Amino acid sequence: MVLKIFFPQCCNRADSGLLVGRWIAGHDSAVVLAVIHYPFIPGQVKQYVQQMQAQSGVELSVLGSWSLPKDGQEGMESFLRDLSTIFPQKCWLQISRQMGKTGFTCNILNRAQNGGAAQQEVTKKKDEEDVKSDGEAGGEEEDKEEEEEKVIFVHYEQRKVMLSQLHPIENGVPDPKTDPPSELRQMFQTVAHSQPLFFLDKYDDGPLKSTHWQSEGREASIIVELLKQASVPLCLLLSCLLSLWTWICNIRIFSLHPLRFLSSKLSTCVQLSYRTQHMRTLSSPKPAAGHTQFMRKANILVSFLVDVALGMLLISWLYRDNHITMLANTLVPAADHVAKELEELLQWLMGAPAGLKMNRALDQVLGRFFLYHIHLWISYIHLMSPFIEGILWYGGLSACLGLTFALSLLSDMVALLTFHIYCFYVYGARLYCMKIYGLSSLWRLFRGKKWNVLRQRVDSCSYDLDKLFIGTLLFTILLFLLPTTALYYLVFTLLRLVVVLFQGVLHLSVDFINSFPLFAVGLRICRSYRLAEGVKFRVLCDEPGTALHLLMELNPLKCSTVVQTYRTPTYSCYPKDSWAALVKKLFVGELIYPWRHKTTKAD
Amino acid sequence: MHCSGSFSHLHTGSLEVCGRKHNICMVSDFFYPNMGGVESHIYQLSQCLIEKGHKVVIVTHAYGRRKGVRYLTNGLKVYYLPLQVMYNQSTATTCFHSLPLLRCVFTRERITVVHAHSSFSAMAHDALFHAKTMGLNTVFTDHSLFGFADVSSVLTNKLLTVSLCDTNHIVCVSYTSKENTVLRAALNPEIVSVIPNAVDPTDFTPDPSQRQEDRITIVVISRLVYRKGIDLLGGIIPELCLKHPDLHFLIGGEGPKRLVLEEVREKYQLHDRVRLLGALEHKDVRGVLVQGHIFLNTSLTEAFCMAIVEGASCGLQVYDRVAGEEVLPLDRRLRRLRAHCGPVAGSIFAFVAVLDFLFLLLLQWLVPDQVMDVAVDATGPHGLWRQETSSKKETHSKSATSS
Amino acid sequence: MEDEAFTDINGKAISLDCQSHSSFCREFTVSSSKVSIGKVMVYTCSVWLLSYAVFFFTENTAVLSSAIVITLVGMMLHIHFVKVDHESLLVIGSLGIQVSSNYASGRETTTFIEMSKIKDIVINEAIYMHQIIYYLCVLLKDPSEPNAVSSVVPLFQSSKPRLNCLVKVYKSCQEILSKC
Repeated sequence: MVLKIFFPQCCNRADSGLLVGRWIAGHDSAVVLAVIHYPFIPGQVKQYVQQMQAQSGVELSVLGSWSLPKDGQEGMESFLRDLSTIFPQKCWLQISRQMGKTGFTCNILNRAQNGGAAQQEVTKKKDEEDVKSDGEAGGEEEDKEEEEEKVIFVHYEQRKVMLSQLHPIENGVPDPKTDPPSELRQMFQTVAHSQPLFFLDKYDDGPLKSTHWQSEGREASIIVELLKQASVPLCLLLSCLLSLWTWICNIRIFSLHPLRFLSSKLSTCVQLSYRTQHMRTLSSPKPAAGHTQFMRKANILVSFLVDVALGMLLISWLYRDNHITMLANTLVPAADHVAKELEELLQWLMGAPAGLKMNRALDQVLGRFFLYHIHLWISYIHLMSPFIEGILWYGGLSACLGLTFALSLLSDMVALLTFHIYCFYVYGARLYCMKIYGLSSLWRLFRGKKWNVLRQRVDSCSYDLDKLFIGTLLFTILLFLLPTTALYYLVFTLLRLVVVLFQGVLHLSVDFINSFPLFAVGLRICRSYRLAEGVKFRVLCDEPGTALHLLMELNPLKCSTVVQTYRTPTYSCYPKDSWAALVKKLFVGELIYPWRHKTTKAD
Repeated sequence: MHCSGSFSHLHTGSLEVCGRKHNICMVSDFFYPNMGGVESHIYQLSQCLIEKGHKVVIVTHAYGRRKGVRYLTNGLKVYYLPLQVMYNQSTATTCFHSLPLLRCVFTRERITVVHAHSSFSAMAHDALFHAKTMGLNTVFTDHSLFGFADVSSVLTNKLLTVSLCDTNHIVCVSYTSKENTVLRAALNPEIVSVIPNAVDPTDFTPDPSQRQEDRITIVVISRLVYRKGIDLLGGIIPELCLKHPDLHFLIGGEGPKRLVLEEVREKYQLHDRVRLLGALEHKDVRGVLVQGHIFLNTSLTEAFCMAIVEGASCGLQVYDRVAGEEVLPLDRRLRRLRAHCGPVAGSIFAFVAVLDFLFLLLLQWLVPDQVMDVAVDATGPHGLWRQETSSKKETHSKSATSS
Repeated sequence: MEDEAFTDINGKAISLDCQSHSSFCREFTVSSSKVSIGKVMVYTCSVWLLSYAVFFFTENTAVLSSAIVITLVGMMLHIHFVKVDHESLLVIGSLGIQVSSNYASGRETTTFIEMSKIKDIVINEAIYMHQIIYYLCVLLKDPSEPNAVSSVVPLFQSSKPRLNCLVKVYKSCQEILSKC
């Protein structure tokens, strides 16, 4: 079997002492976490390790000894070997290295029993092998090959491994029976959990001294602590406000049917409820439970801040130089213009559009019907026109809640202003749909078939002569009237699709701002080791004869995976049909977005 | 690496060593997981040929997610090529687009005999055509009967004439089928032989005790599709039931025409007398068959009606005869095409044959034969399948296809 | 140790470099041919000639400058995202297998597969474009069923060596896998 020793890079030049770390069960690998320096009192070391074990929940133990003799320290070897009797272990590693000579030996003491008295030494001393040092590794460590037991040294950077999160994330407590986590995952967990071990400062005056990674930015961490303390009352205040807001929302009046229906259709209301939900997540005073939740909170916070900042930019543009009045002054003539264009379009349809010969009577009826609607619409716009500037002014204020609100409001306003187009579309689609249904059932009659409702299939059926006659007659009439209806349907569907497209773009951008994981992407760019997809190894020494010698680096997550993993799930209000389904719906004349569920109820 | 020059040399060398062993490629659109007579015929034939020591590979089109290379019992290698299915599991044919893949299969497996099955399969016709272009021996097995009157039969028959006039040998499954095929394809009857399908008698032992004596039971077992004459069956069921009150039907099989039978059953209130069993497992077929007195088959095109084929028993003599024949050079092939298939169709197909040959030359220039890896034999004289300890192991592939 | 000359499935020369770091750690590097100057010249010249033809009729100088930008950007994208210079496979006994591919621009993508997830390494057949080719792949274990294969990781995807090269890599991989 091959023994794998994960060795931190920061301990390359540590003074002699004891190796503290963890054996990973079932994988034949050891993770070295720190070196406790000579001189020490073994009892204190034991006590310290136990204390750390209790704090971190990792099965820490003394793995072996580490020697890097300085000048004048001779006779260490035998002393360190004797130590193995004090710390009973299944296996005692004895790693030593000499200054200047780039020598590095690893002896393994196996013992048959854990008793400690009857111990077998299978140590073999070998000549040191001089190997060229690898500059990037920051040290010149070599290891020795044993005859029956091979050793791989995997050097890792303690800080990066400690802070990184391996993907895909495993949530919750893994079930020990089904599947133990893989070796690398265990190694990462060990390093991450043994943070208490790293709090011992190099310059502290304590009974023990040790070498391991330690943070250099004490001052910064104090600021972070203070911020954390300050955020608690802020969160409490926020949650108070939120509960008040939810209370208002839950008043009886708002849950009456028409209001609730309306609010579910207005994208501003949807955005409002969505934002409320986000704030509720943010304002919970408890710290985030896991990595996923922490990232979620951070993403929400960052995207909220960015959203508000963008909104402020918009406001500063809107309320400067009277832009609002300008907008209002262009809006009403634009609506008028659209109405006029529509009127012309209808006139064109009522004649002989594109040289097509329509059924004159039906054409006239339909055309007049729609013209009357446009007339109604224009009077409505004119009634509204004095108030539009006010509406815009107050609506613009909503941008201080964020750009998303402004965009949602814009989408709602567009929906209201183009209500006539929507009406036309519905009328045209209903008419067309009825015709298509009639035609399809009459076509079945024509072929001597009928729809069997009980069994949901088409059966053959013999009709009487008069039934067939009437059916065929109706079929012919419907067939010849179809082009007229289809033309109106086509034109208004195209108009409607333009509006839907515009609204869709608005919704997409709102959704993008809401759900894009800005924090995670920033983390990926600035601290790419924090989100690790896995690891990669580099061979440090490649001379034949020496044992293996690897440098473990972190493999950062791909940007696409970052976005995919940390996207905040959003309420998306656009249809989820495929394109083929959409085209089929358009062809059959079923209503598309947005009152979709209502049409299914009606059918 | 064997380049194309040394390829034939190597082949004759291997012939000397192990007698007349061939590398046979079965081509048909119809193979498992599709179920039917042709499919089981191909499978059983291949198994028997493998037992005789030949190397057999099967080429068919991809079925759903099953594409790439698979291995069946005894190392029978099946290529599921990603060709577009057009109608009824038959691939679309343009005469050319399948050449690159088929050529690759023929070359890397060092095929000597191409055996195509079923005249409904466009892929089989394509393979015959390409095999002739590449100068391989071909055999064709016809499984169906056809009319002469309607448009579709006329067209199919013309196609059959063209593709069979090049074929070295033709096998039919019954004498009726032979007559039919000879007439349809205007063939010389001498190159057509009949190998009737056989039913394994041990699997199908009669058991009269299962019958119910107070009634007459008619058993129908077939796929419920148009080609099997299910419309006819739907027509005769009410008439027969009216005439004979003690008549019962037992219908096994599944298909789109099941609706017809269900409708008939409902319309004439025959729920107690017509039983639809749905899809049957192979092992259940006997259990159904022994319950009946009469077996009814309404198929429109079937040449030899059967449930299970053990067809390969005679397969070998055919192949031995085929392998002796010479392969025609291109000019004589063209002359024969024109002479045989009439002036118009003959000229068209002669032109197509020339194009195919040019296409082959282009492919050989793009990807020379030397560059293609020779496949590791699973079956045949150098087959590795039985050597379990061999370090070379290929598992059932889940291949990444891209086209 | 390069005695044999290997080619890829299209007949282009590639080189296989086997490095043995220790008895249970080997690295295989397959380097494909470099970007040929001739090809680059042909593409560049064709784009420029085309743009010049357009310029001749429209007399719009923006066409010419955009052609230059297009060729430059296209070349950069090509060497950054498409052209793989060499692919390597690092097999470390009892630890895992590392697959990496280096693009011509120096970009490197690496995946490490732990030994506990690996079921086997096999040579498989696949239909690729209009050919049927052999490829080397790593079979991954299904965590729920120990004997099932959950997915396949193809190796040397862009250099696509031929069977003789694959067999060589396969044999030395199996040597290591069987030991650990």
